[in-house]
Amino acid sequence: MSDVPFILALQPRTSHGLGAQTKLRHEVMTVLSLFSLLWACIVFLWSAPAFASSDYHEQLFLQPFPQSSLLASFNFRSNTSQASFDNQHFRYFPRALGQILQHANTKELHLRFTTGRWDADSWGPRPWNGSKEGGTGVELWAWIDAPNDDEAFAKWITLTQSLSGLFCASLNFVDSTKTTRPVVSFEPTGDHPESSNLHLLHGALPGEVVCTENLTPFLKLLPCKGKTGISTLFDGHKLFDAAWQSMSVDVRPICTRQGDCTIQIEQTVDMVLDIERSKRPRSNPIPRPVPNEQLVCDTSKPYNSEDTCYPLEKVTEKDWSLSEVFGRPLNGICPLADSDGSAEYPVCIRVPHERGIFYTEGTKEFKLDDGFTRCFDLDPSKPFDLAIPEQPINIQAPLDEPILHAERTIVGHGQERGGMRIIFENPSPTAAVDFIYFESLPWFLRPYIHTLQATITGRDGLRREIPASDLVSETIFRPAIDRERGTQLELALSVPAASTVTLTYDFEKAILRYTEYPPDANRGFNVAPAVIRILNGVDSSPIYIRSTSLLLPLPTPDFSMPYNVIILTSTVIALGFGTIFNILVRRVVLVEEAEALGSQTIKGRILGKVLALRGKFGRKETKVE
Amino acid sequence: MAIDQRKVAVFAGAFVLRLVLVFLFPSLPDLLTGRVEVSTPVNSFKRLQEGLFLYTRNVSPYDGGVFHQAPLLLPLFALLPDVTQYPLPTALFFFGVDLVNAYALSTISDSGQSVKSRLHSAMRKHIRWDGASVAAWFLFNPFTIATCLARSTSVFTTSGILFAVSNAVEGNSINAMLAIGFASYLSLYPALLFVPVLLLCYDFHAEKSKQSLNTTVFVLQHTAIFLGSLTGLLAISCLITGNFWEFMSATYGFHLLVPDLTPNVGLWWYFFIEMFDSFRAFFLGVFWLHLASYAGGLTFRLRRQPLFIVSSLLGVFAIFKPYPSISDASLYLALLPLYRHLFPLMRYTFFAISALLYSSLLGPAFYHLWIYAGSGNANFFYAITLVWSLGLSILLADFLFAGLRDEWEQDHPEAQGKEVKQV
Repeated sequence: MSDVPFILALQPRTSHGLGAQTKLRHEVMTVLSLFSLLWACIVFLWSAPAFASSDYHEQLFLQPFPQSSLLASFNFRSNTSQASFDNQHFRYFPRALGQILQHANTKELHLRFTTGRWDADSWGPRPWNGSKEGGTGVELWAWIDAPNDDEAFAKWITLTQSLSGLFCASLNFVDSTKTTRPVVSFEPTGDHPESSNLHLLHGALPGEVVCTENLTPFLKLLPCKGKTGISTLFDGHKLFDAAWQSMSVDVRPICTRQGDCTIQIEQTVDMVLDIERSKRPRSNPIPRPVPNEQLVCDTSKPYNSEDTCYPLEKVTEKDWSLSEVFGRPLNGICPLADSDGSAEYPVCIRVPHERGIFYTEGTKEFKLDDGFTRCFDLDPSKPFDLAIPEQPINIQAPLDEPILHAERTIVGHGQERGGMRIIFENPSPTAAVDFIYFESLPWFLRPYIHTLQATITGRDGLRREIPASDLVSETIFRPAIDRERGTQLELALSVPAASTVTLTYDFEKAILRYTEYPPDANRGFNVAPAVIRILNGVDSSPIYIRSTSLLLPLPTPDFSMPYNVIILTSTVIALGFGTIFNILVRRVVLVEEAEALGSQTIKGRILGKVLALRGKFGRKETKVE
Repeated sequence: MAIDQRKVAVFAGAFVLRLVLVFLFPSLPDLLTGRVEVSTPVNSFKRLQEGLFLYTRNVSPYDGGVFHQAPLLLPLFALLPDVTQYPLPTALFFFGVDLVNAYALSTISDSGQSVKSRLHSAMRKHIRWDGASVAAWFLFNPFTIATCLARSTSVFTTSGILFAVSNAVEGNSINAMLAIGFASYLSLYPALLFVPVLLLCYDFHAEKSKQSLNTTVFVLQHTAIFLGSLTGLLAISCLITGNFWEFMSATYGFHLLVPDLTPNVGLWWYFFIEMFDSFRAFFLGVFWLHLASYAGGLTFRLRRQPLFIVSSLLGVFAIFKPYPSISDASLYLALLPLYRHLFPLMRYTFFAISALLYSSLLGPAFYHLWIYAGSGNANFFYAITLVWSLGLSILLADFLFAGLRDEWEQDHPEAQGKEVKQV
């Protein structure tokens, strides 16, 4: 097969940076007439007291994990009253985001940027019970007020396009094939009036690479914009070098019984840093082996000698300080943050109380009663730093056991079909776990839901195959339509105590048109992470777990030869068509008749004339001679 | 009527062979169901099961991209026990359909319509196979066996077509129209066989009836029956699914627009994978027009042999339809022995059969290289489908030539056995 390589260059290709182009599209221009100016003044005066309800809080929570990891959890929260939000009086609430939300009729918004994998075995349950976490890449879900599904979708597209510009993310690629409408997996966290006609839409971009370009607009939404306060610790080099990190933006209305509503925006950044890795100076980032004299060797090994060492695990906890781990100290406190009266301190750390901590002068330390948490009230004028010396491990802040372990993998080989295997493990010896498993699959992955099977491994360690309906109490399934929408699967499941449940189903991989493949077609296609919502009681807030995203290899055609294929197929068709119609339209004659007939056609006559002429000339020539 | 012992032996033998295959190799049906050569998006049993699963749970199977088969199959298969637990009843059902198809084929053969019709009488009538041999040729064809074991739903279309023809050659023209209506309802393309089947019915009645037949009334009557049967079936389907446009676009729209490009033995899939987006609609139109053009051309030229038109058109479908499988080829090959008397007139039999054997052996191997081993690319399998189509079109063209030569010899008995040429 010969190749025509230039065709790749003709393809319109898209990159994830393109989303920024839509940034300017939805800027709202308002021209105020004299009347509306007057009206605005009246409204301003009337709603001026509403500013009193604006507030802003920020907090950093640090927790060292075993194996020299450090969880840093940043939280920024501000409220604004519904009236001032409606009148576009933004104080702490970012104007850019507020106007987008108003334009897209979005009542509640959740946006997540996540990279890495949460290691539940070493780090325990997720921060904020997983509710501030997204699947790998970008995840967005919002409640949009619209009279019907079509208008909600139109508003949703407006929203994704605008957010794409605001956050420099490829959110504009969230089209109908990547949008789902989960039924039971998400509940609004805000208070919405009964009368509103809300539509939940959910979209995920598992292939999106979250990076500094997303952090910068994220910081700009904060009142102190990363200049002072805990947000000064954000450094793209450190943040995106973390083993796991998640940025979130949540906007929701909160109403009192009397009907006074405030709009709350909460931004969080959670990251798990590897202390060793973060402490490496930027000028010399290459890890080097520990010098021989600093190695602690296991002398009980028979081969232990001058030049052979079996390193022992460290019995002391690593020393670290804020400025070492984050690359800079904390630059004072944000003057806009409310510190009066609230019990929230700007910096808290969860280590045993006997652990020694050094901190900058002028800082007040408060030890909380739980024996592990202590908080710091900072001196606004000075940069704050916090250092923990190396110390032998006596006692560690306990980690809870996660309620459920979940894991999803693609099984099978070959590019034609495969299977999905989801393993749920309930570690609790007594309580069953009820949860909702939500999965949105791209349309080119065609699941065969009739092949859904379940096996359960109980306390006795025996694997038993059971009908899936024994565990699944409710199934919401919306099959995919090619090039229109993806598959949406929601299962309400229950895993008995101390058991492991494995769900499997088969799927088929579609082969796409060659223009539908990305430039790196053989890398595979990303499948969005599954979302698990654990239902543990009615009143408590839900716990979310997300699986990792999957990479799905699809069969690929040969991209280099569209012309060859068109030509070869056309040749075969022309050959069939030509032969058949040739046979159909021609007359059958005997071979001798064919010669006689041949002389009567135009071609035969001309040929005859030519022959005759040649005969004449031939005779003349012989005469001359 | 005395029972033909040979026929009984053939049918019993075919049944036992299938049963033995299922019992000796229990995983064979599922393996064949997954083969792209056997199962296409419009006849795959696995997709039918998925559709059935959704149907029995009150989810519309047509509101999705997997199921594209006729709605009537759903209640039919809902009656059969769950195939994952009891595979045998479904297998036996498909064996039965195969035997019924073979019976229809032997009826066609026994009617002698292939050698002597109203306007045509072959010169070599004595070279003939009887119904039992024709049935045996069909039932023991590995392609037919593979289709049957894979439980491909195209066997129902085959039944529709074969029953239409067998009823037409026996003079049951109403049944013939109903059967062709059923086949068209199942997979759309048999509608192109309507005119040749109508000619078959017409010739039978024109030959048998004493007074001359009113052609217009006959044609209108039968067209009305055909359309009536189609409308009836669509109405029942509408009752089953509850949403007319949804199932129409998911079944016939799917046949027409070819959105699913899963590999198969045909010419369409790779062509439309590699086609530039702006030309896709144009070439879809061209391909369909091309397919339909044969119906007109063959009907005009071969008016004297309506059964031959049907056979040749089935050959055309096996090559050029959007989602062909080996079941289409097996149907065409099944009709060839009806024309045993044409075999001496064929010229490229060796070449055509070699090409078919070559591609049926290398096809699975090259598919494995592309999809599983990763040592080949899509072009490997694509090249084999080209050879397969080429082999079939050579066979078809050669067969057409033999048929026309035979027709010509009837007019020129003196030229029998002499060298001929087409001008």
